[in-house]
Amino acid sequence: MSVTNSGSGVHDEVSEVSELPPSHRLSPGDWIKQNLFNNWYNSLITAVFIFAIAFALVRTLGWLFSSDFLIIRRNLALFMVGQFPRDELWRSWVSGYLLMGSLGIGSGVLWRSAQAVAEEKGLPTEPHSWPDLLRRFWAIIAVLIFFLSFARTVPPFVGLATVFVAFFISRELGRRFNPAMRTRGLFFAGLLGLLSLLVLAGTGGLGALTVGGLFGAWTLVEVRRYADERGVGAPETIGASRRVRRWHIPYPFKRRVGGILASRVAAAVVFCGVWYGLTSVDLGGFGWDDWGGLHLTLFVTVIGISTGLPVGILLALGRQSDLPVIKSASVIFIEFVRGVPLISLLLFSWLMLPLLFPIDLDIPGPLTRVMIVITAFSAAYIAEIVRGGLQAVPRGQVEAAQASGMSAGKIQRLIVLPQALRAVIPALVGQFISLFKDTSLLTIIGLLDFLETSAVANAQPEFLGQGLVAVTYPFVALGYWAFAYTMSKESRRVEERLGVGVR
Amino acid sequence: MLGRLLLLVIALVVVAAAGLASRFIVDRVTGRDTSDRPPPWRDLNVLSLAAQVLVFGLIVVVGSWLWSNFRDRTDDIGLELTFDFLDQPSGISIADNPLSSNAGIRDALQQGVKNTFLIILLGIPLSVLFGTFIGIARLSTNWLLRKLATGYVEFFRNIPPLLVIVFLWGAVFLNFPIGASPTAEAAWRPFGGWMIFSNNRFAFPSIVGLDNFAAYRLLVVGSIVAAAGVWVWRTRVFNNTGAPHRRALWSVATLVGLCVVFFLVLGGPFEFSKTTVEDRIWSGGFRMQMPYVAVMLALVIYTASHIAEIVRGSILAVHRGQVEASHALALNGLQRYRFVILPQAFRIAFPPLINQFLNYTKNSSLAVAIGFAETTSIISNLFGQSQPAPQLLLILMVIYLAFSLILSAIGNLVNRRLQLRGV
Repeated sequence: MSVTNSGSGVHDEVSEVSELPPSHRLSPGDWIKQNLFNNWYNSLITAVFIFAIAFALVRTLGWLFSSDFLIIRRNLALFMVGQFPRDELWRSWVSGYLLMGSLGIGSGVLWRSAQAVAEEKGLPTEPHSWPDLLRRFWAIIAVLIFFLSFARTVPPFVGLATVFVAFFISRELGRRFNPAMRTRGLFFAGLLGLLSLLVLAGTGGLGALTVGGLFGAWTLVEVRRYADERGVGAPETIGASRRVRRWHIPYPFKRRVGGILASRVAAAVVFCGVWYGLTSVDLGGFGWDDWGGLHLTLFVTVIGISTGLPVGILLALGRQSDLPVIKSASVIFIEFVRGVPLISLLLFSWLMLPLLFPIDLDIPGPLTRVMIVITAFSAAYIAEIVRGGLQAVPRGQVEAAQASGMSAGKIQRLIVLPQALRAVIPALVGQFISLFKDTSLLTIIGLLDFLETSAVANAQPEFLGQGLVAVTYPFVALGYWAFAYTMSKESRRVEERLGVGVR
Repeated sequence: MLGRLLLLVIALVVVAAAGLASRFIVDRVTGRDTSDRPPPWRDLNVLSLAAQVLVFGLIVVVGSWLWSNFRDRTDDIGLELTFDFLDQPSGISIADNPLSSNAGIRDALQQGVKNTFLIILLGIPLSVLFGTFIGIARLSTNWLLRKLATGYVEFFRNIPPLLVIVFLWGAVFLNFPIGASPTAEAAWRPFGGWMIFSNNRFAFPSIVGLDNFAAYRLLVVGSIVAAAGVWVWRTRVFNNTGAPHRRALWSVATLVGLCVVFFLVLGGPFEFSKTTVEDRIWSGGFRMQMPYVAVMLALVIYTASHIAEIVRGSILAVHRGQVEASHALALNGLQRYRFVILPQAFRIAFPPLINQFLNYTKNSSLAVAIGFAETTSIISNLFGQSQPAPQLLLILMVIYLAFSLILSAIGNLVNRRLQLRGV
């Protein structure tokens, strides 16, 4: 909804319907008159604010040119990656390239398949243009360039430029994927993303686990596809009698159920094998307890999102369930977590979680414990959002699915959840933004997140007690702002494209 | 853990067998026709019962496993799981508070809850007020005001509230003139010393009762009643005759007039008290600690940006016809907002506003970052003195749960009164 400039009200445009739309090109003088000085109180407001802005501008510029940004130039690496060993910084860069490759291929593949679906249905397609992408992500790009402008050497600049180039190339690659290969493309992207984690963390625990899991899942999908191509579980065999199915299904898997089971067993075997293999190879690297800075903040956010989402969906389904035990357990968990501040949960992870591990087990590091509570925290909030989406799915959808003989699990997986999640994407992005902002609380339990780096820099003997937080806090704020702003812009774009909330 | 899981499986098998057997026996005894009943592994009642028993069993197993780990660890470090420690001296001295550090932990906690409540009490109305202004400014016809309000919202919505708090405290308030000197001589004293600004306290005048102050207080209450009566009378006049009611003007004039008359009649029952600083002790007047102001103001600035968006959305959601009708009635801009748009917008805005109030309450715990003595920061202080963490965490969570529940109960109550009935 737009606000017209002529009247002083909110919805004035309706009251001035004429046969032809008047020309909207105003001369600068008229524009100023209409938009800034159209009546006495607007003139007063304009005058006051022009003086205020001029004052603020003069002061800010004076401050900018008189202050010394040595603290930022000295500590740029601290802000970006915390205490990560300085002679191992190549790991961060390689990880950055891999991550950008993953994002590029992933977004390219998604764009291509969305394009294919839209063409098939005769819907308007969104043209692909690089300037458009630049416009959408200008805040992050500009802030990253601004951050690196404090670097004292050339390599970081070259690094940043090549990271962007890596994104461009991989997105172009992703766009050339055959839409039918969507799943494979996405798995490839996921693999690159996990490799980037592996380069940083080495073979320590999670990296190997996830890469192994990915291989396993990939195998599962491939075996399932192989089975599908031979008619196992193909639509025409559903509903046929067991006898018919038994005789029509060829090698390698005799029955539909057996086929899926066999593919899962195969996946599990591969998973274990790959995991074992990876843990026995030492790539070096640093566990995440050594990570810090902007990198840690982004990492915790991504982990919180990706672990919180599945748990949150399960909780939402539990809360919608008809079974009283499951329902009340979900309600108690969700309402408890939502009722207490995140700080109390972080204090819980710091002081209480160590007491809950078996006495003969080593207590996991602080960041691992934080991730456990962050998962619980974001899951509870995501559950409430997803619940809204579940309630918005018409009852007839479920009934129709039941009438066509689908199992309860299939109804949720194939009918209800896709519609429910689609409707709440903007709200979910909103939750991700607030999780991103909430990671700043890691400061309070003494982890070296992006906000804490500012305090650490100000505690260095060289900069101690000079009031330089006035320099470092705005610097940090800019970083937080760029990411959160871009995410909120993107969510608004998705909202418009999905037509959610159109009245 | 494995032993427990095994126990669970055995228990489940026993329960399932017992259930099936009892079903079989009941069917036999009652002689029911069971030919159209599905087998137990397809019977929805059986399945749902089984799922619930399974989930319940898992919760019990995991819970008891965690509890036994917890007991092992607490026994190992010799931690007692009682609440006796609440009577020990807290060792915390709270600024501007007579509570000595020898007072019990219970008293310190009470003081913390009181301070949390003070952050909420002043902050929520301020953020609603400020947020509403920004929300209206975002819809202004003045281009400059609109852009400034949009910039404000887009900036503060997208940075962490903790950052606003530490910035306001560390980069702004700490740079105020130093107040922690014997007479706070560096502090800034505008209005002839009636107000004092420094980097640890902010003071302004308060009222101190003299003789007859109790009687005067009673009379003030009486004047308020009289003013309310005038309000009702003017409203009635307006309803009956249509003459302008000017009820706000009338009742304020009544109130002020009566108060002044009583003040003179009783020979000056109160006087204004000015804050003085001697030997680092601030006395007289009304004093606020700067950390309190920083937390409260920062949260107001942050929350207002969210409230502004809610208010803006609600104003846009008010039916167009209402605005057009108010144009047709020749209401001016202020009247249109006061009588037509805002009352309806607030009805729409109230449920999301409750959410913001809850967020504000939870965010007030961020005061721990700058050491203002509210609940969280007192409890984290107690952690530092190695008081038992499990009990203190429980207390902390229960306090915030109580705040959340009470606030949302009040909000829901108000919301129910606010919404149109029978629509």
